[in-house]
Amino acid sequence: MNISPDDVVFWQWGGFPLNATVAYTWLVMALLTLISWLVTRRLSTGTEISRWQNLLEVLVSGIRDQIRDVSRQDPGRYLPFVGTLFLYIAMANLLNIVPGYMAPTGSLSTTTALAICVFVAVPLFGIAYEGPVTYLKHYVKPTPLMLPFNIVGEFSRTIALAVRLYGNIMSGTVIAAILLSLTPYFFPVVMQLLGLLTGMIQAYIFAILAMVYIASATSVQTGNKDNLPNNKLSNNNTDKAG
Amino acid sequence: MSVDWITVSAQIVNFLILVWLLKRFLYQPVIRAMDRREQRIAEQLEQARQREHQAQQQQQQYQEKANELDRQREDILSKAKENAEQQKHELMDQAREEVSDIRKQWQQQVEQEKQAFLKNLRSKSAGAIQAIGRKALSELANVELEEQVISSFLLRLKSLDHNTRKALTQALQESSEPLRIHTAFELDPAVRGRITRAVHEHIVEGIETEYFESEQLLCGIELNAGAQRISWSLADYLDGLGKQVEDAFASTSSSNR
Repeated sequence: MNISPDDVVFWQWGGFPLNATVAYTWLVMALLTLISWLVTRRLSTGTEISRWQNLLEVLVSGIRDQIRDVSRQDPGRYLPFVGTLFLYIAMANLLNIVPGYMAPTGSLSTTTALAICVFVAVPLFGIAYEGPVTYLKHYVKPTPLMLPFNIVGEFSRTIALAVRLYGNIMSGTVIAAILLSLTPYFFPVVMQLLGLLTGMIQAYIFAILAMVYIASATSVQTGNKDNLPNNKLSNNNTDKAG
Repeated sequence: MSVDWITVSAQIVNFLILVWLLKRFLYQPVIRAMDRREQRIAEQLEQARQREHQAQQQQQQYQEKANELDRQREDILSKAKENAEQQKHELMDQAREEVSDIRKQWQQQVEQEKQAFLKNLRSKSAGAIQAIGRKALSELANVELEEQVISSFLLRLKSLDHNTRKALTQALQESSEPLRIHTAFELDPAVRGRITRAVHEHIVEGIETEYFESEQLLCGIELNAGAQRISWSLADYLDGLGKQVEDAFASTSSSNR
């Protein structure tokens, strides 16, 4: 039984295998891009809009609202990154209902890749927001003694993110497979539904967590300047969420 | 459960490409469309607000105009009413004046006619009464009556007051004519003597007297000395009667007026 889509190799070119993870990722990318392009080709700026445009607008404005709620900042800068995280994971998980499809998010490679993206994006956004020196000073606060802990926290956060998504999606797939062998026909369908639900929730959690990390990297400094107790509170919250 | 680092790097690249693609095809156009719509809605709202404002202003203007028109209409109506009232009064006054003029004219005419009628009646009735009186008295006149007339005349001569007597005397002295005595009937020489004596006694001593007969005197006797005259005659009474009748008519007509 192939648990990871990494192991399913469609085509090998030299040392680079074209496995199911990459192939289905391309499928998801193609679908998302195609839908977006088809819909945004003819956008209406009036009050009469098509259903698809309405759907996309609801999605985009919903993501923007979530980002604004979490970061208390203008969502424009974070929208492409966080929104794409959500849309990609959601679409990848949603397609699980298609027979023969294997969710790329069920591969630890994909989730690791996404986590690494977040890992890199957090300091990048922080530096872009407040400059490199101010951001890096953040690691030696409150005292330089905390520097190793801060770095460890940074890494552990990334790993937790990766494993959480991978574990959920993979476990869903694995449970479905096991149940299918034990009690065929009906019960796996229920599990499949549950898997869809979990997939959506995971997409949401992943995107929100990424946003929270980025927000903590950008807004903590502001909070320090303005109001200490509030800042501590938000730090605690962030730790719990992580 | 293993991490294929080639796949990981491929997935990172894939993800970054997807970010770019979605940014290019999804977020930017959709957000732009939403912004444009918001802007349009805001513009429309602003336009609507402006239009509403304008409409309100226009409504206010029209309201003011309507009020102005109402006021003007009221003014015109009240003026017209006033004019009509004034004209009515004038016309009424004019009509009243005309009516009173006509009435006055008519009254004058009536008065004139009445006066003419009364005058006519007066003269005629006085004349008639006089004529009847004269006729009756001339028929009634006889010796006894004539005797009475003479004695009355003599009595009057006797009872002349001082002034009259003086005037008579003066008149007789100024004119050289004799004293003329007119009677309606023929006098006896004895009676004539009595009268002459009475004249001599009461007026002027030794004056010459002449006697005439006159039908007009109507059972009476008259003494003429120049412009002065003493008489007793029924004609005098009848003249007085005529005068009385005329006075009576005059007073009735004046009380009728």
